[in-house]
Amino acid sequence: MERDLVEYIAKSLVDDPAAVNVAVVEGDKSTILELRVAEEDIGKVIGKHGRIAKAIRTILSASSTAASKRIILEILD
Amino acid sequence: MVQEFEGRTEKEAIDVAAAQLGLERDGFDVEILESLSGGIFKKGKVRIRVHTRDETPAPRKKLAVEDVVPADEFETRIIEFTKHIISGMGYSSEVTILFREEKKLGIRIESEHASIIIGKKGKNLDALQLLVNVYAGRMGHEDTRIILDSENYRIRREEAIVRLAYDTAEQVRRTRQSVLLEPMNPFERRIVHTTLNDIVDIETKSEGEGLYKQVRVTFRGKI
Repeated sequence: MERDLVEYIAKSLVDDPAAVNVAVVEGDKSTILELRVAEEDIGKVIGKHGRIAKAIRTILSASSTAASKRIILEILD
Repeated sequence: MVQEFEGRTEKEAIDVAAAQLGLERDGFDVEILESLSGGIFKKGKVRIRVHTRDETPAPRKKLAVEDVVPADEFETRIIEFTKHIISGMGYSSEVTILFREEKKLGIRIESEHASIIIGKKGKNLDALQLLVNVYAGRMGHEDTRIILDSENYRIRREEAIVRLAYDTAEQVRRTRQSVLLEPMNPFERRIVHTTLNDIVDIETKSEGEGLYKQVRVTFRGKI
């Protein structure tokens, strides 16, 4: 579910939505979401001083499953 | 608005202010300017300054039922985006137009999970608002500011900050010790600065780095 959420947000903010990819690494206590976007779009999902990335992480931490499991967002290049 | 009143005691001055302004005691904030207590042969004198909250803009007109629905493609997409993120978080919501102003668009979120959508000190609502604004910018509406609200959180928070500002000013004046407020976003800090701007013996300054700076309230002494 969070995977879809991250994908939706990323696709809405980048120039090249087709290049957006979110991989899920499930752990016992946490889920790691690895977000990849086109190189030119990295700034659009991170933002100045990481503002956008921080906002996405805040949204994730408020999701209904975050109560039971930690969700970690990594933005890879 | 700021006005001054006098009485023999603090209570009397406040009563005079309340009567003349036609307000209840909790409808304004009082700053004691001068206080001379009376003796047996001498009358006391208390001068107070009263701050009424007419600086806050008039309440926005409630939109008619037919106007809360999106009126164009831009509004439709903003509402869709907001709703989609909230449902992705696992919550159901109703998202409508709250107000339309010059370069401002207000969005109302109604949900049984409003408290988590707002978050501690509005953290989640602010994060969502930031994303919605970035999204609006991408649609070519960089000059339109989108304001998200739920359960009247924005106005309630604003009132709470104005109250906090006056209370802090009182405390600083009494103790002559500066007070560092909790970290706030730029909008909230501006409320503190403008609220205390008119109070001559109090000074405010932001400290720290980044988006969430802290306001320090200090005593400047008699002028």
